[in-house]
Amino acid sequence: MTLSEPTAAIQVRRTHPITPIVQVARAAPALVLFLFFVSGQGDGGGATLLLALGGLLAIALIGSTVAYLQWQRKIFWFDTDGDLRVNSGILTRNERRVQLSRLQGVEVVQPLLARLAGMAQVKVESAGSSGDSTVLIEYLALSDAEALRAEVLARSAGVTADAPTAPEDVLHVVPTNLLVKSLILRGATAGLLAITVLVVTFSLIFEGPGGLILILFTGGVPLFTVFTEFSRFFDFTVARSPDGLRLRYGLLQRQAHTVPPGRVQAIGFVEPFLWRRFGWVRVHVDLAGSSGGDGQESVGRGVLLPVAPWPVALQIASALMPGSDASQHTWFRADEKSRYSNPFQWRQLAVAYDEQMFGARGGWLTHRTSFVPHARTQSVEVTQGPLQRSLGLASIEVHSVEGPVSVIGAGRPASQARQMADAQAARAEDARRDDRSTRWMAPPPTERT
Amino acid sequence: MTSVDEAFAPPGEAWSRVSPKLVIARRLFLALVLIPLVILLAWLALDDTVPLWVFALVAVVSLGLFAWAWWLIGRRVRSWGYAERSDDLLVTCGILNRRLVIVPYGRMQLVDLTAGPIDRFFGITTVQLHTAAAATDATIPGLTPEVAAALRDRLAARGEQRSAGL
Repeated sequence: MTLSEPTAAIQVRRTHPITPIVQVARAAPALVLFLFFVSGQGDGGGATLLLALGGLLAIALIGSTVAYLQWQRKIFWFDTDGDLRVNSGILTRNERRVQLSRLQGVEVVQPLLARLAGMAQVKVESAGSSGDSTVLIEYLALSDAEALRAEVLARSAGVTADAPTAPEDVLHVVPTNLLVKSLILRGATAGLLAITVLVVTFSLIFEGPGGLILILFTGGVPLFTVFTEFSRFFDFTVARSPDGLRLRYGLLQRQAHTVPPGRVQAIGFVEPFLWRRFGWVRVHVDLAGSSGGDGQESVGRGVLLPVAPWPVALQIASALMPGSDASQHTWFRADEKSRYSNPFQWRQLAVAYDEQMFGARGGWLTHRTSFVPHARTQSVEVTQGPLQRSLGLASIEVHSVEGPVSVIGAGRPASQARQMADAQAARAEDARRDDRSTRWMAPPPTERT
Repeated sequence: MTSVDEAFAPPGEAWSRVSPKLVIARRLFLALVLIPLVILLAWLALDDTVPLWVFALVAVVSLGLFAWAWWLIGRRVRSWGYAERSDDLLVTCGILNRRLVIVPYGRMQLVDLTAGPIDRFFGITTVQLHTAAAATDATIPGLTPEVAAALRDRLAARGEQRSAGL
């Protein structure tokens, strides 16, 4: 075996001894279901049940042994170069080395079962094009997990290893009643619920049970989506710490994420139709190094704030992008002629830019306002379809990394779109030269009180 | 020059155009894909008891489509253009849906050179620029290998100067 082992001087760490038990317990529902299924088969006699139980016990035994061996073989430590090393595997030994200088983020996640046992997972994400750039260390006692997270962050920033957890002050907690109201007032949900009420009323009036099946769908789907989002975003807490914005949320599965300002590539404000009269908004971010399926998951599908009044949303956005106030932009409205190419949203279409970022807004029922900082602009595109061409219009699109936010300014006069694109490319190039936000931990935070 | 064309005007004198050999390569590809397909369909149609007029109609329509695609390839290839400015690269293409993408050199993550079998036979290469944004679609097909390699080296050198990162 040629895999490197830690030198004797370095203290090797292990995950918590309870890990194999939690891992096996995770499979328990499936095993019980299996038992249920098997005992239903055959003549249902005692022999079958006994056989199934025996099989189940054997599976559980093998599973526990494997889990135990896996736990025994899993060690992690910080090597002399300061990188995080993880060795694991029973038959196939696996050694991973996470270059902490390429660290993108560390998260502490508590799935339901682990949470009941007081345990947590630590996910260490490094920059990498492949989907396999996340190292999972499970399970640690919650306090150990938080300590490990702080240590990884501190080491990646080049601070001493024993740095205390960065202090944080809570900026905002999403009130539960606001969360519930906002989830119910989303267009599709509200629509389906209204249909449910109609169906119930009709079947009461005409005393026909025909519509009742329909309720399962019209009532069930919105209830399901409301509940999943509610449990996901329950007790959504935003706190500011020197290493970025901390997000903590979840009813059953608690998650904690840190969004370093340097990783934010774009920010978007979404206002569903029914939220507008209350002045509520949802805030999305695109983050570097977390594109694609797993990455979206990593910061709650790119949600920075599930719902908040505009002033709060702007305050939190400005904590991530200091020096630019999203509410203070002068918006350049789209050309009048865009009513023919974008009949529903043309009144809303506009673009804006200042020293810091480029923004675009649009949308008919749901209004979207998105910004990309100049320093994060990857490329700029001008597009023109046949209809726009006949109207002398064009769209300008500012690309940032993959994510929920896209910045498209439709309905610009064609020549102006081109000038804007040229100017934006130049601003992107200028901003790149004096951008320091990627070294977010190096300078002492100046604006903190 | 109308204001419509101003949006896609070259930054300098004119766009650098791609090799006309790309037209031949793409037409050959079209023929290689469509002709066997048409023959297969014809064979299937004759096998059955399909009325002759249906067969004729299909033949006319597919011939028409073939001619249209043939003509479109020529126009589409001619619409392709690129220009290197001091700080960024511009790529434009399209007839119905026109687009122009501007990529600052500092944002390039990598430059790809690819050539499929047909491309190699005609001696043409595709250059593709990648940034951290998946939406960036800056592809220049139909360059001769020398031009493509020289372009790649120039782009890489300029990107290097402006140091990458996100």
